[in-house]
Amino acid sequence: MQLKRYKNELIVGIALLFLVIALIYKQSVVSSQADASVGTSLQELKEVIALKKVWGDKKTTKKVDKLKTIVSSSKVKWSKKSKKLTASFLNLSDQELNRIIVKIMNLAVEIQKLEVKKLGASYQVEFKCKW
Amino acid sequence: MENTKELVLIYRDMNSISSMPANGVNIMLTPQFYTIKREALPVKYAYQARRIAPSLFDGLLEDVQNHKYFVVKEENSWLFIAYDVEKIKIFLEQKGIDISQVSKVYFSEQVVDLFSKPVLLGEKEALVNLNGTMTVLPQVALNTDEESMQISRKFTPKKGIAFEGGGKSFFTTNEAYTLASVFVLFAVIYFVEASRYGGENEAQMQETQVLLENHPSLQSSYARQSIFDKYRIIDEKERKKRDVIKALSHMIFKGSTLTYFLIDDKKFQAQFACKDKSVAKKLQELAKKEKFNISKVPSSNDMKIEGNL
Repeated sequence: MQLKRYKNELIVGIALLFLVIALIYKQSVVSSQADASVGTSLQELKEVIALKKVWGDKKTTKKVDKLKTIVSSSKVKWSKKSKKLTASFLNLSDQELNRIIVKIMNLAVEIQKLEVKKLGASYQVEFKCKW
Repeated sequence: MENTKELVLIYRDMNSISSMPANGVNIMLTPQFYTIKREALPVKYAYQARRIAPSLFDGLLEDVQNHKYFVVKEENSWLFIAYDVEKIKIFLEQKGIDISQVSKVYFSEQVVDLFSKPVLLGEKEALVNLNGTMTVLPQVALNTDEESMQISRKFTPKKGIAFEGGGKSFFTTNEAYTLASVFVLFAVIYFVEASRYGGENEAQMQETQVLLENHPSLQSSYARQSIFDKYRIIDEKERKKRDVIKALSHMIFKGSTLTYFLIDDKKFQAQFACKDKSVAKKLQELAKKEKFNISKVPSSNDMKIEGNL
């Protein structure tokens, strides 16, 4: 009898309770996602992996060595110690200069010095880098 | 279930009721509280009949808006009963009847056939079945030798009406259902959103797990941060250097020749030999576009570009 008297209030109350439960559930899911983001952000992790892949590449040494082979060895002065390189390229034509610069740009190395001098019709390049 | 409760006949001149049964009562209204119409309509269902009820009482009722309609199918016709809930409630309260104690409300017209004899309503009036319609008549109009009767629980019809929320409800049934629907709708939306977030979260966690398994050195957040800080600085710096080289390479065109270029960790400078003033001007525009500092080399058309990294 008492329940019947408050039937309408009961209906609204139960629906409201359902709403509150749904809201709490959603908040808990959202906050658990936020917590997970603080710990291990997937985006951050992907970025670290991508950076490491580029700048921590173990094949960089081999890639740097290929720079030596772009022009004839007579035009190259090469000094590589550990992960540091000092190289001079002499008597370069326009095309050779272009090839060397493009190659350097595509190498994942820290350019410490890149100097290009035009001497008459040829170019001279000095390159210092580390990786 | 309902007819186990006492059935109380409600009429205008009734005395106030001092005590009510604890389990509540059913009430039966005399025609003083309702208006009836019998119509043979070609409708099959009660809801269809109820829909056209207001039009049947058009012009018969004073305040149509306050009336509700009760419809019952009879043998060859439909019985339409129009009643004013608020007026009935007020009357019952005046007579000491707690609305919340009223379980069901019935109309005497529903059981017209059971009224084989008049039912006396106080000292002056009587409720009689007059040619198949319940009517309130003065007792003087009755035959003097006519016996009267009392109504009992047996008079309780199958169908009746209930006062919404027992008369003390905050909401009407319609309001309650509307509010409940809105709440449930929002609740469903929240659940769906939560499951979507949960799904995304799960997928991200799995992807993260796979990446961490493939890169065990990144398991520690300190290691990750350290690697990130180290390479981010290098990445930014080296990208800047390469952007400068790329921009300067676009300044080599017909009439403009690179004669000197230097770039290190802090700065860069380049010198271009220009064939004439128009080439020098074009070079100036290009350098300006790249926001480089450009200056003219004295006593020549050559241009010097420099900047910091």
